[in-house]
Amino acid sequence: MKNSLRGAVAIVGYGRTPYSRAKPGERIRTVDQYIAWAAALALEKAGMSKQDFDGQGLGVSHAEASHTVNWSAAVAELLGITPRALIRGDQGGASAAAMLIRAAAMIQAGVVDRVLVVGADTPLTIPSIAPGLPLSPERTRGVFWEFQGPVGVMGANHQFGLVQTRYMHQYPLRSEQLGKIAVTTRYHASLHPGAIYRKPITLDDYLNSRVLSDPIRLLDCVPMVNGGLAYIVTSAETARTITDKPVYLLGCGEVSNYYSGSRMRPDITVTGFVQAAPEAFRMAGVQHEDIDVFEPYDDYPMIVLMQMEDYGFCKKGEGGKFVDEHDLTFKGDFPVSTDGGQLSGGQPGGAIGGFMPIAEAVTQLRGEAGERQVKGAVVAAASGFGGIPYARNARSCITLVLGSET
Amino acid sequence: MSQTPQGKPVPELTDLTRPFWTAAKQGKLVMQKCSQCGTLDFLPKPWCIECGHLDLEWVEVKPLGTVYSHSTARTVMMNYPAWKNDLPFVMCIIELDDGPRMYGQLTGCPPEKVRIGMRVEAWFEAVSAEAAVAKFRPV
Ligand SMILES: [Zn+2]
Repeated sequence: MKNSLRGAVAIVGYGRTPYSRAKPGERIRTVDQYIAWAAALALEKAGMSKQDFDGQGLGVSHAEASHTVNWSAAVAELLGITPRALIRGDQGGASAAAMLIRAAAMIQAGVVDRVLVVGADTPLTIPSIAPGLPLSPERTRGVFWEFQGPVGVMGANHQFGLVQTRYMHQYPLRSEQLGKIAVTTRYHASLHPGAIYRKPITLDDYLNSRVLSDPIRLLDCVPMVNGGLAYIVTSAETARTITDKPVYLLGCGEVSNYYSGSRMRPDITVTGFVQAAPEAFRMAGVQHEDIDVFEPYDDYPMIVLMQMEDYGFCKKGEGGKFVDEHDLTFKGDFPVSTDGGQLSGGQPGGAIGGFMPIAEAVTQLRGEAGERQVKGAVVAAASGFGGIPYARNARSCITLVLGSET
Repeated sequence: MSQTPQGKPVPELTDLTRPFWTAAKQGKLVMQKCSQCGTLDFLPKPWCIECGHLDLEWVEVKPLGTVYSHSTARTVMMNYPAWKNDLPFVMCIIELDDGPRMYGQLTGCPPEKVRIGMRVEAWFEAVSAEAAVAKFRPV
């Protein structure tokens, strides 16, 4: 495969709206409002205007609250932008990363020079056509819901609980090791004004938190929020005229529907990152020790730990030991989820959480992370992770390597 | 719609899935087998995931397997509230002796006794006039 995307594009702006838990008395914004708000923040950061995207690209993520067909074109209408090319993110929490790769390929091919990528969702206040119907593992009817809902599968808690039980059967892992990840993300959240849960927790808080779905505890679970994010990607050439802090895409790797082993009986403790991460590192020309900050897809500590292993930061089965041996804070030797992650930051719907690792990686590489800034960060790795296939672990796995220098 | 937020969800039968549910109603576990390459697979697919052949035959499989993994729900999440009556609720990935894996509730076993590798057999609980859900119990 050609390693052709390295350094071709850069992110020149990003935006993350304040999140809401939609508590009584709070202003309840719609998905449309969050999209515009996130886009406005990204445009402001880049010093650009929406007119800069007429005749250019617009990327729009799927959202549970998307309320019409051809959602990406509808968002162009809502924003009053007349793009030449639309990109639709349809890979759950891998959508944001996928759209960056698609945008980079289109920019390099000369179809467009720049793309505004937006995503928002309001999972706590979806206008429902069936009031009272709870969120399902698949949200709509179809073969995936039919073989989970009526069987009693309780969404991601059950699905990841099954992955974690199997992992703990095959490899040594102690609750304290997962707890350290949860405690660290909360510590980072305490330093990030945008995070939804900012009160620090202790390891005991984690260990004593209620078990929801063995072995998944309350403090293992991502809290849903309403919110939106956006980023702007341009050709490297244009980026340098816009900002003195472009963040370049150095490498990317992607796989969907990965099976570890046979399709009938895959090993569900291994994700597609074993393929995506080495691909991205190769394209970027980086080694593991070059990564200054790691922004995994971080909705459950177990998922973070599996990424540490499957990226190759340690051997399979040694994630627990790796967590013990490293300081995961922004001051440490292996900074992880420096924004507080989705775990403490909040997840604006299953599809939009995937913008957060990108936004935080860019924040760190631009030196704009304030109290939680990783000193001298020049290379970051960020993940997209989307969907849970039937009785397995991850539908789409994407690794991005981003850097402040080419 | 036969499903309400108050009850448990009931499968909506389609051309793709009807053979599975109606067989379960008759106490049989059936899965699709590719008539070209012989691949046996679950959940129902529109063609063979190995060779792409469209002609898949529904065949009966042995209702026996082992627990590949398990997770006990202590609370209802992202499903219908009536599951509350079944808590604590042991969900498993069952590895069938004939090959494929499937989600299934484990009954007749306290949560603290469930183990990976435990031998189980399928049983079928009718959930509608046409359909039954496959559950599992220790053998
Ligand atoms: Zn076949």
